[in-house]
Amino acid sequence: MAIENFNRELATHDFVQQMKWNVELRQRFEQDPGAVLDQFELLPQERTAIEERDFKALYDIGVHPYLLSQLARLLYGTVEGAGSSEASLALVRSLLGEDAPS
Amino acid sequence: MADIVFAAAVSHAPGLTGWFDKADEESQRNVREAYATVGSDIRDANLDLLVIIANDHLANFPVTDYPDFVFGMIDEHSGPDTWFKPWLAVEDYSMPGRPDLAEAVYGHLQGAGANVVRWDEPLRFDDNISVPVTLTGFKDMGVAVLPVIQNCTVPPVPDERASYKLGEQLGEALRALPDGLRIGVLGSGGLSHEPGGKRYLAIDGDFDRWFLDLLAEGDHDKVLREATFERMEEAGIGGTAELLSWLVAMGSIGERPCEVLTYAEVPEWRCGVGAVRWTV
Repeated sequence: MAIENFNRELATHDFVQQMKWNVELRQRFEQDPGAVLDQFELLPQERTAIEERDFKALYDIGVHPYLLSQLARLLYGTVEGAGSSEASLALVRSLLGEDAPS
Repeated sequence: MADIVFAAAVSHAPGLTGWFDKADEESQRNVREAYATVGSDIRDANLDLLVIIANDHLANFPVTDYPDFVFGMIDEHSGPDTWFKPWLAVEDYSMPGRPDLAEAVYGHLQGAGANVVRWDEPLRFDDNISVPVTLTGFKDMGVAVLPVIQNCTVPPVPDERASYKLGEQLGEALRALPDGLRIGVLGSGGLSHEPGGKRYLAIDGDFDRWFLDLLAEGDHDKVLREATFERMEEAGIGGTAELLSWLVAMGSIGERPCEVLTYAEVPEWRCGVGAVRWTV
């Protein structure tokens, strides 16, 4: 058992890491997420999954899980002092399919 | 010949500083005391250099080009990285490096066969370094640090035997430093957790207790046979294998008596938390 379906070529990795490393990029993303996403060579399914906060789709196509946790923080925010933040709960719900449309 | 006079390994997790008080009081007390013991040991060891082997949570390098072991060569190591500050809630810190010693150690490891990389720029530290140096109080001791950042999560990962072997070579390199220098080794990582995965909010307490008992037995061949990378992954994909950093520390000192200082299974911390020290 190891990380399944890891695809290091996916631009989502670069997007999340650049967002972590660049405060200005994070600020621009808050104002105009589409313009920031345009800067990265995301596959259509990557872009859709990011926009729809569909972590399971990203997991299934090979995004590294640790960066999924960071993406969840980018999208949902960091709640200081929270043991079970909205970001982590949203991520796990998505991976388990609990937020899939019925 | 220098001497390795201190060796220990501890867990790290953002919750240990960011939301420590979410745990029950007994776990808080036990974990606080264990880190304080490690800090006290470091202080008493009167070190010239502490080598901290800690995994990199994809904080420094793109996944397309991910080194196995990165040595921080500069004269000052600061943290935490800006992105992690709200999460970790620790004071900013700055610790001296020893570029001369880092250069000697790095030079010794050339040709060792491992993917060892030098880094002459500041490394980004998240909980990997920030949590242990804060909870042990090391950040305020004024002792020089050599950070070694290890890949434990981006495939292909240097497995248990590669990590232990690198540890053996690191131990040789450290003992080859000038006479009289007092060196410490601290592994940072684990125990069970699965960051960003389906078991993100779960801990494998059975694995953690088994692993700590195995270390306390002190048979390194048995550890390498049983505590494999695959076994670690079964107990939490992409996270539990941070224990490979503990194996580097073990390799650097060889078989020595190991004492388990604590274990806490606190779901809110999202990571099994333990600490061990070796008699060196």
